[in-house]
Amino acid sequence: MRNEHQKLGVHARIALQQFKKIFLIQVVSLVVIAGVSLLHSPTAAWSSLFGGVIFLLPAYVYARRVLHARNAKSSPGAVVRQLYSSEIWKMGISIALFSAVFILIQPLNPFSLFGTYIWLQLVGFVAQLKLNNRFLKL
Amino acid sequence: MEMALLYIAGALMMGLGAVGAAVGIGILGGKFLEGAARQPELIPLLRTQFFIVMGLVDAVPMIGVGLGLYVLFAVA
Repeated sequence: MRNEHQKLGVHARIALQQFKKIFLIQVVSLVVIAGVSLLHSPTAAWSSLFGGVIFLLPAYVYARRVLHARNAKSSPGAVVRQLYSSEIWKMGISIALFSAVFILIQPLNPFSLFGTYIWLQLVGFVAQLKLNNRFLKL
Repeated sequence: MEMALLYIAGALMMGLGAVGAAVGIGILGGKFLEGAARQPELIPLLRTQFFIVMGLVDAVPMIGVGLGLYVLFAVA
């Protein structure tokens, strides 16, 4: 794992570290939300868990595909192509997971599912802005 | 009639979300190419910024897509 990180460029390594921090924060907040939802009902708890997994799994796949790519110094066209294909994978996985949950899981609490999904997005926004000072200088 | 309206609502949610994401990501890719053409030595830095901002841009459209799928699969 350490060798794998050493092969990355300095910017990719910093972005990967930031992504790991944000991912950890999101996982912890997902566990807390699921625990609080369990006090309300088990349906709300597993709905919030599914909402979190629907958000976290595509985000992890996207970050892994982008940040572990070996074309960091290649042509701009190749970088754009690789980022766009990763984004298409992310959207495809999200749509497949949403569809699977709505079709297969029948007692479902949509407020809990979408609330957790949106909450994790907001946590990601805020953590990204706090960690990356570059955006605050704009 | 109600079913048709639900399908139209789901399609609108997903379609408008897709339009927003397409415009945002298209502008982002265009600006990245502009920046990379001006200063090719900054490509690794621009690449990570592109990665971060793309994650922010596609967040809200995905909520719309999720709600649209909920309307199509669970409500209709």
